[in-house]
Amino acid sequence: MIYKNKFIYIFWALLAAASCRKEPRYIYVVEQQELYQNAAQKTNLKSTAQFIAIAYNDLFGASITNDELLRYDIALQSVGDKNTMQDMIVRALLNRSGVKQVSNEAMRADIEAFIRQEYLRFYNREPGAYEIWKLKDMIEKNTDITPKMVYYSFMTADEYKYY
Amino acid sequence: MKRRTFIRNTALTLAGTVAAPYILPGGRLFAATGARKVNHVVFCLFAGGVRNLESMEKAEGNLMRYLLQGNESISPDIAPGMTPLPPPPATRLQQYGTLYKEFRYASGPTGHYNGHTTAITGRYTDSNIKLKEPPQYPTVFEYYRKHTSPGAGALNAWWISDSLGPYPFLNYSKYDGYGAAYGANMLAPLNLLYNQPNATLGNPLTLTASENERCIAMREFMNGQFKSTVSLPPNGVTNTPQDAEKLRNFLHTLIQEAAGGLPLTAWGVPMNSDMINIYYGIRVLQEFKPELLVINMQAIDIGHFEFTKYINNIRLADFALYKLWEAIQSTPGLANDTVLIVAPEHGRNLAHNSVVDIYGRYALDHTNDEMSRRIFCFIAGPSSVVKQNQTIQQPLGESIDIVPTIANLLGFDTEIPAGMLPGRVLQEAFV
Repeated sequence: MIYKNKFIYIFWALLAAASCRKEPRYIYVVEQQELYQNAAQKTNLKSTAQFIAIAYNDLFGASITNDELLRYDIALQSVGDKNTMQDMIVRALLNRSGVKQVSNEAMRADIEAFIRQEYLRFYNREPGAYEIWKLKDMIEKNTDITPKMVYYSFMTADEYKYY
Repeated sequence: MKRRTFIRNTALTLAGTVAAPYILPGGRLFAATGARKVNHVVFCLFAGGVRNLESMEKAEGNLMRYLLQGNESISPDIAPGMTPLPPPPATRLQQYGTLYKEFRYASGPTGHYNGHTTAITGRYTDSNIKLKEPPQYPTVFEYYRKHTSPGAGALNAWWISDSLGPYPFLNYSKYDGYGAAYGANMLAPLNLLYNQPNATLGNPLTLTASENERCIAMREFMNGQFKSTVSLPPNGVTNTPQDAEKLRNFLHTLIQEAAGGLPLTAWGVPMNSDMINIYYGIRVLQEFKPELLVINMQAIDIGHFEFTKYINNIRLADFALYKLWEAIQSTPGLANDTVLIVAPEHGRNLAHNSVVDIYGRYALDHTNDEMSRRIFCFIAGPSSVVKQNQTIQQPLGESIDIVPTIANLLGFDTEIPAGMLPGRVLQEAFV
């Protein structure tokens, strides 16, 4: 009887030891992204898939689905003038709902901050003083410029095609 | 006469004498560098591996009734596997040009991409060919754009590819001094239009003219700030802003049209991938009237697995070729000013493989035997340029001769640096 009880205790102890194992805690962090010091550091052409995946992520703040990536990638591979097809893809993405965008009022309330923010978003670097001054001047002088037009210009400029 | 007047008149006369020959009836202010025979060349790669036994020797009947004279019936055992086609015209294409019945793909692996690369660069390749980068030697497009004077825009040169993989790379090479700056516009219509692109590309952001100007100004400023100390890899071929706008509008039209599906019965018969590729090649011809267009067909490559479908696809490619010729002859600006060149990239083996189709026929591979090097070449065009209804029976001409021939037709052959092209001009085809 004593042995039987001992056995039961040992059994329960082992079971408790096995089942009450503490769950490992995973901590997910965003990896620090190193900013480019200047545009000249970008010397590699983005692949067709990289261009699309990055463009989607920059605009929607989320990863593109494999199915959509494949569709856009095939479209980009199917045309020899990549600039023109990239332009068409960017225009199509910009016209979809869900684009993370600043309102026109917010842009005009602090144009300099807007420019800094978009350089980081699209070019992964701080803008130079001249870049800030010139773009600010353009936006201020042309009241029909919208944030979407600025995004479009960033994403169809040469720097966006390289990393 | 006063000395000053004399000098002025002499200079004017001299200038007139030099300039007059360059003002052409076709409206071009300047002739190309050399003497042009025509202003347009279309080169159709009748590819996928076509054996001369089935094409020129008619071993299974006349499979190419739109090109070749004769009405030899198709072998009865495989006849049920043939797609019905409209009756061929009384005048077959053969009568509009010169047929080389024993052309040769003389060297290099008999692979599809090797064969395409050879036909488009005028250089034989070897087994070290790279599939994920541009060809080693300049393409015919680069020779054309670099050595034609005045310089030809990219919309004047087109490569219409039936598929992706390595084939889109054939619009320009990585050769020093040539490359993307002289490349052709490339379009793979089936890939672009098959997958309902209207859903992903059909509703673009539109900008007013003034909004567009603002964006261009911002973009140009940004481009001015993007300077690199090293040579950057090119982002494909580049059109001028005006030409890019034309291209964008054209692509947008095609995308919208394809929203309801591909034109699978546009010619009154069920269309396969080759026919669809030719259909869109014709659209490019009609829209841009390029001086140089290269297009391919490869559905014939089913020959690895189904002999009877291989036979049928040769027939369908022949029909598509006729449609291409018809379109050229009915398009103002191209009619009577275009030479059409047709050739497979390589043939297929004499010996069959072990795959049998439902008609009991064995399939065919292509692994460098003599039969797989035997092909044909057909050159058609205006009677003032191309010898009509001429058939050359003996072995003559090679794949590497096509690029020099195109260069000669468009008048820039003498501008190509010596030693670049080992082939020769197929002079015997011309008047």
